[in-house]
Amino acid sequence: MHENQHIIELKKLTKYYKGSSIPAIDNISLNINKGEIYGLLGPNGAGKTTTISILCGLFGPTSGNVFIDGMEFQNSAEKIKNIIGVVPQEIALYPSLTARENLNFFGHMYGLKGKQLKNRIDECLELFGLEKNANRRIKTFSGGMKRRINIIAGILHKPKIIYLDEPTVGVDVQSRNVILEHLRNLNSDGTSIIYTSHYMEEAENLCSRVAIIDMGKVITEGKPKDLINSKEEYTDLESIFLNITGRALRDE
Amino acid sequence: MRRLFSSIYKEFLVLIRDRAGLAILFVMPLVLIIIMTIIQDATFKTVTEVDISMILVNNDKDSLGEAISEGLYSSKFFNIVEEIDGEKITKELAEELVAKGEYKIGIIIPERATEAIRGNVNALINKSFKSFNIPGVKQRTKKSSINVTIFIDPVTSPSFKNMVMSSLKEFTSQLEIEMFFKNFSLALTQLMPNQKPIEFESFETIKYQEIYASTTGDYKLPNSVQHNVPAWTMFAMFFIVLPMAGNIIKEREEGSAFRLKTMPGSYVTVMFSKIFVFLGVAFLQFILMLLVGVYIMPLIGLPMLEIGPHKIALAVMAIASGLAATGYGVAVGTIATTHEQAATFGAVSIIIFAALGGIWVPVYVMPPLMRVLSQFSPLQWGLNGFYDILLRGGDLVVVLAETSKLLIFFVLMLVIALVYNNYNKTK
Repeated sequence: MHENQHIIELKKLTKYYKGSSIPAIDNISLNINKGEIYGLLGPNGAGKTTTISILCGLFGPTSGNVFIDGMEFQNSAEKIKNIIGVVPQEIALYPSLTARENLNFFGHMYGLKGKQLKNRIDECLELFGLEKNANRRIKTFSGGMKRRINIIAGILHKPKIIYLDEPTVGVDVQSRNVILEHLRNLNSDGTSIIYTSHYMEEAENLCSRVAIIDMGKVITEGKPKDLINSKEEYTDLESIFLNITGRALRDE
Repeated sequence: MRRLFSSIYKEFLVLIRDRAGLAILFVMPLVLIIIMTIIQDATFKTVTEVDISMILVNNDKDSLGEAISEGLYSSKFFNIVEEIDGEKITKELAEELVAKGEYKIGIIIPERATEAIRGNVNALINKSFKSFNIPGVKQRTKKSSINVTIFIDPVTSPSFKNMVMSSLKEFTSQLEIEMFFKNFSLALTQLMPNQKPIEFESFETIKYQEIYASTTGDYKLPNSVQHNVPAWTMFAMFFIVLPMAGNIIKEREEGSAFRLKTMPGSYVTVMFSKIFVFLGVAFLQFILMLLVGVYIMPLIGLPMLEIGPHKIALAVMAIASGLAATGYGVAVGTIATTHEQAATFGAVSIIIFAALGGIWVPVYVMPPLMRVLSQFSPLQWGLNGFYDILLRGGDLVVVLAETSKLLIFFVLMLVIALVYNNYNKTK
């Protein structure tokens, strides 16, 4: 374990899925600083989910190294899992359980217990405006409410790093605002956030730096403003994105 | 440990919130066990008491016809029909009725059948006393044969047909012996006029004593309930594979499994919590099915299930069987990628295990290859264990081998699931 300013380091990361001759990610090297909101942007099939999956420890890379807070999954998987929080794109909750029952279960899985867990659940429910719905079953929730609980389940244990995969997909404007506001609050408390999205405007406003990846490679990386100012024809992040990745439709 | 308890509690909540699923888990096995026992009860009654309709056309009107008729009527196996709407059944009508499946068997005793037997008996006696030239005995030496026709419905089971045939042969040979004895006695009185005729007296020289073998001396009389409750209980317990595999796949589809994989704690903790909860369900199913055997079956005219003194052995067998079933559920749920795959593979494989395990047809009547294959069916191990306890009076020591096999199967299934799960990580 070594101390440095990078909370995440990807070194020449390559991943081939079994039976495929095309790499899902190809020799990616990235450094993500502590306290950053880092956006991973790219069209469908670009390699975002593969990168996030490797960062979560779901599977390893074919070659290259991943350092999470100076640790590697090969020898510190449990320690890494304790400092990361994952918010998947799917609503990864038990629909027949109430919001509190879901959060109790996931909290226990993160090692929280007793009053500490109860207080943390109450705090998060209040922050995300769901305190009155704590004892309702998830299946009765609206899409926006489910998204908010989905985020709470990933941040209950106050992780150092949060991975958010499309956290605002399919939610109303109000829910989106609440979610983005709390992501900023979490970040201001020192939490590093890795975030994937298709909403370029959202990424432009939220992220301190972004990487646009396509075909498994990092095409460009930097602060959104710097990228926009790098060429005259760029007016916003979306124009950069379309310019780099093209206008052709992409399938997974 | 806290993670395990929390995971068990979560599984418990998920299970009890699915009311319909819960009802299916408990009601369906009970319906299955009651229906199968009632149906199978008839199989046991063929050797004790059952009412199967049979046609008898007695054209003989003499000793053979009377002997067969009397024998069949006095037997409790058959309901004899000789007339329909007051009309005597003919040979042609008998064949037609059996061909239509309205009757399982039709017996046609031809005219002068007794006369033919009598002639044959006399021929034999004449041959024996040829040199004495006895005046009272008819001088006949030529043997003749008669055909008693038996129409059989093709769907009749071979065992039932064999039972009818052996009964008929018994009636005929008894009559032949009696006739031979009477004529032999008559011939002797001709030779020795001072000798009084000897009365024919039937005497059972060899008696058959039926004892159900048991190493412990504690056995239960086989009946449909004693046989079927353990058999169908095993079958129903293994069907827990389907909801269990469904639970694992659903968790994967809903994304919770993804989240759990990114959390501290292992796949094994999550799987053990499922095993614990579903093992509880399987054990409850087992208890309920025993209670049905003891309290409900006698109410519907079936024999009562006798649990016997070895209740701990029974509980251990139930837990071992439950573990084997839940372990199999974990393996199927981990490897199958869709609900359809799990449901089809799970259900068909259980039916194959059950068939090999002797749930429908006893293993000892299977062809040699199937008998060998049956040794690899967990349902066969479970069924044998339950039979050891419920029919042969066996205790915990007797079922040690079966219990061990079931536990090894459980461990093997978990290893397969774990290896497959780790293999998926390297994709």
